[in-house]
This record gives sequence, C-alpha cells and structure tokens, in this order.
Amino acid sequence: MSRQDPRYHVNLFRPKEGHMKDEVLIILIVLIGWATLTFGFQVLLAFSRGRGIGDLLTGLTLFGLPLHFWFTGQFLPLWFIILCLVFNVYIDRITAYHSRKRDRTYD
Amino acid sequence: MTDSQWTIGIVILVLVSFILVGLKQKARESMEYGFGGRYTGRIGGGAAIASNWMSAASLMGLAGLIYLNGYQALAYVAGWTGGYVLLLVLLASQIRRFGKFTAPDFVGERYGSPAARFLTAVICIAISVIYCVAQFKGIGMIFSFLFGIDYRHGVIYGGLAVISYLVLSGALGVPRNQQLLYFVIITSFIVPLMWLAHRLGYFWLLPQFGYGEAVSDLSRQFQVDFAAPFGTGSVYEWCALCFTLMVGTAGLPHVLSRFYTVPNLRDARWSVVWGLFFIALVYWSAPAYAVFGKLIEARMGHVLPPAAARTMADIVVLKTAVLAGVPGWLAGVLAAGALSAAFFTVAGLLMNGAASVSFDLYYRVFHPQASELSRMKVAKGATLALGGLVLLLALNPPGLIAEITAVAFALAGNTIFPLLLLGIWWGRANDDGAVAGMLVGVVCTFAQPLFGSLSPQVAALFPLTSSALCGAPLVILVMIAVSLATPPPPDEMQRFLASEVHGHLD
Repeated sequence: MSRQDPRYHVNLFRPKEGHMKDEVLIILIVLIGWATLTFGFQVLLAFSRGRGIGDLLTGLTLFGLPLHFWFTGQFLPLWFIILCLVFNVYIDRITAYHSRKRDRTYD
Repeated sequence: MTDSQWTIGIVILVLVSFILVGLKQKARESMEYGFGGRYTGRIGGGAAIASNWMSAASLMGLAGLIYLNGYQALAYVAGWTGGYVLLLVLLASQIRRFGKFTAPDFVGERYGSPAARFLTAVICIAISVIYCVAQFKGIGMIFSFLFGIDYRHGVIYGGLAVISYLVLSGALGVPRNQQLLYFVIITSFIVPLMWLAHRLGYFWLLPQFGYGEAVSDLSRQFQVDFAAPFGTGSVYEWCALCFTLMVGTAGLPHVLSRFYTVPNLRDARWSVVWGLFFIALVYWSAPAYAVFGKLIEARMGHVLPPAAARTMADIVVLKTAVLAGVPGWLAGVLAAGALSAAFFTVAGLLMNGAASVSFDLYYRVFHPQASELSRMKVAKGATLALGGLVLLLALNPPGLIAEITAVAFALAGNTIFPLLLLGIWWGRANDDGAVAGMLVGVVCTFAQPLFGSLSPQVAALFPLTSSALCGAPLVILVMIAVSLATPPPPDEMQRFLASEVHGHLD
C-alpha cells in the first residue's frame, strides 16, 4: 500500500498499477470475447440474412444442426466455460506473480 | 400397479429419500464433530452451484419455450449460461473480498444508507416471490399431470405439498445435500432423453448431439423449420432477452451467496467453471426435448394450434416422454427430477426471503431491539406468509414458467446488478445514486405494463421479460449522474475499496 497513491479512487477504467491493472486487462478481454460472440453473432446473423454469409450460416450443418443453431445452442455455453477457464488460469498466474513480488519488496 | 401409480410412487420415493439421506448425513456430521467435511472440493462446489441454479425454469420452462419459439428461445440458453461469465469476472472475487454476503448487507454497508438497504431488501423479496411463482406453476403442472386433475387443484395441492415439505425438513433440521440433488436432477433429465432418442431412432448415447438429425428430419419430412433465425421475434428482442438474463444472473441474490460456502477464493473461482459445465449439461439437452416433442407431434399427424401449444408448453418434457411410450417408472424419474429441483428452489428462496423480512426489515428497520427469539418467530411466520402469497399469485399465472422467471431476472438486472457493479468498480458511487438508481430500475422493469399503452416505443424498448438491455445502462447512467451531483461517499469507504477490495496484493 505504501507505494500507492493514497488518494486513489476506484474506477474500472483507471485501475491502479500492479495487480488491479492486470486484473482489469483480463476482465476487459473476457468481456469483449463474451459480447462479440453472443451479440455480435446475432447481429451478423440478422443482417446477413439472404446474403452470402447468412446463407452459409443457416445452410451449413454440424451434427445435423444448421450452423447458426449449433453455434448459439451448443457452442455459446461451451465458449462461456472456456472464457471462465481462461480467466481463472490468468488470475491464478497474476495472483502468484504479484504475491511473490510483494513478498520480495518486504524482504 | 399401473403406469401412473409407478410414476407417483417414484416421485414420492425420491422426495422422501432426500429427507432420509439428509438425516443420516446430519447424524454422521454431528458424530464427527465438524470434520465431516461440508467442503467437497471444486467439483463438489460446482455441483452445489449448479443444483442451486436448476429450477423448474431450466428443467421444464426452457424446453417449453424452445418448443414454441425455436431459435428465438435459444436466448434463454445463452442468457442463463453467459451470466456466470459476468458474475465471475466482475463481481465474485471482489464482493468476497468486500466481505458482505447478501445483497442488502452489501448495499447497506457499501452505500452506508438504511434507505438503500431497505429498498434492496424489498426488491430481493420481490425477486424471490416472482421466481417462486414460476416454480409453483411448474409444481402445479406436474401435480395436475400426475394426478389427472385441473391446474388450479394441482397448484393448490402442489403448493401445500412443498410448504409442508419445507416445514418438515425445517423441523427435522435436515441439511441440504446439494451434490446429491444435482446428481438426481441431471440423471433424471438425461436418462429419459437417451431413452427417447433411442426410441425415435437417433444417436442416443449423446442425445445432445443426436437431436441434430431430428431437426433436419423435421424440416425435410414435415416442412417444420425449427431452426429458422428470428422467426418469432426480432434480433433486438433476442439480444434484449439474452442480455437481461445475463445481468439478472449476476444480480440474483440467491446465486450471489453461493460463492461464500467455498472456503477460499481460488476454489470458489474454479468451482464456477465446474458449476457452469454442470449447468450447460442440462442446457445442451433441453432443446432435444423440444425437438423430439415437435417431431412426435408431426409423426402422429396432429400439430397443435398455437393457443393449445402455449397451454401445454411448460409440460412438454413430460408429455413428449409419455407420448413416446416411456415406461411409468421412467416418467416418474423425469417428474421427480423436475419436482425436486422446483421444491428445493422454493425452499431456498422462501427461506432467503423470510430471513430478509426478519433481519433486513423487521430487525434493522422496525425493531432494532428485537430479540433472537422474536426474529425467529417473524422468520417462520414470513415463510408461511410468502408461501401463501406465492400460491395466490400462482393460481392465475401470468405467463409461461421461463417468462415469469425472466421478469425476476429483469428486476435483478435493473436494480441489484448496477448497484453491485458500481459499488465495486466506482468508488464515487454514493447513497443518493443508489436509491435513485433502484427506483429507476423498478420503473424500467415494469415500464411495459405501466406505460406501454401510452407509448408504443416504451413497450418496444422495455419488453417485460427483457427490460434490462436498455434498463441496466440507463440505471447506471442515473446512478453516475446523481452520485456526481451529490457529496461523495465517506473517505473511509473509498479507502477501504482501494486498499482491501482492489489492493489486497499491493
């Protein structure tokens, strides 16, 4: 704490140096991945209907399901699991890194 | 015994066995004096998260809506899984470091305002009641299906059964075995599905993949385009619903408190991954019931008109199994799984709601000198009162199970979620902002019934089940504006946030 600005005010978009900055970085990356594949895909699907990509998305099949149905119904839940997994691995790493660093400064 | 007697017998057997296993577990734990290990590791923690989450909405309502609306209803699948991403990355660790484990406690402490605390408690109770109405509808439909009675009688008998079950397990002091509950729920959902897939001639080992062929067959043989995107609604409606369910998940009071039963933060985070996987197992399977239901109807040559389909949609899982000729005992397994999920969800929500009435309202606001004993009495009375209220509301359910549940999610997403989010991530958010935000959130949630007839735009932007896509950002803006216009929160709280919640490794 001694190294930090004592007047720091918590703000997601202005994180503190150190652990918080690393944490916010991975949070924003995960949120972008979450939003693009969930909502970006639906918007793409809606606006490309009847055109090349749209036909491809509804025309191709995977496990018998049209690609868009498979993507939303089966891949998205899996994608969310992957995002949580990536987040946890990364947080485990930065937690280990910053606690080692902290211990050394105290030494 | 006839088929239906078998079905009822299995259902009773499963419900009684929860009490027996619980009693045995209790005896063993008191013998080992605390070393019996409530903590069951990350996987066990995940199963607890999942069983806490599963309700009649996941096991009955979801398949029903997919059966009715096809692709449009996949917004529920994505929404009810993706919310855990938000919860994990934005709130779970930080709220745990903050150290307050219920929404009213957190709001009361963070914003230092009795008014905000009071409002949060009232909203949490409202969320529990709405959520329970959906569960009661599910219980009522299963009862009317099992006993061949009409819905109103089904819901009365079912409601009385669940309240007596709650009172009985409370009186016996039965601990809830969440891992066993998850095992029962997942087995009872997937084994009948495998049977169905086998019966209909699809790949049955993994019916989650096998049902794909059935979707193709539906469109080839019967011209039912089940998978057509945005057939029954617009892309805005899809995204609004999905977003609402996601932020609602992160704001639901009973989901939040799940993170504090695991002793350390790292295991708590990892158990979310397992929990999400266990939840996804059910959500990968639910569409299969819907598709098989449609297929059986099409093969038998009578496709129901929309109104009739809507009436039976919530029971489509059981009805499909019975139409396909599932043996009585297996139908019983299927019904028992859904019923135990609904029973334990009701138990959890009513007890949470009653604890909130007794602690947050009665003790904190009205009677600060109340004794432990009188608070207990209030809690017991409140359980029964809330149960009665839910029963009354469930007699004329306003929609399908998943739709009613979605309203509870919308309310949570419009009120609790912004308060938690800004409370954790913006030190400047203050009590006035919190109160203003919650009031706006409540108005947003019910904007469609309140102002929908006056302004069609409002009705289109804030659909009752999906109001949080516009609502939650609006509430966040209101909270920011009001907070900036009023004095900042105490320095002490701001320092605590910077040094404890976000500075534990500095």
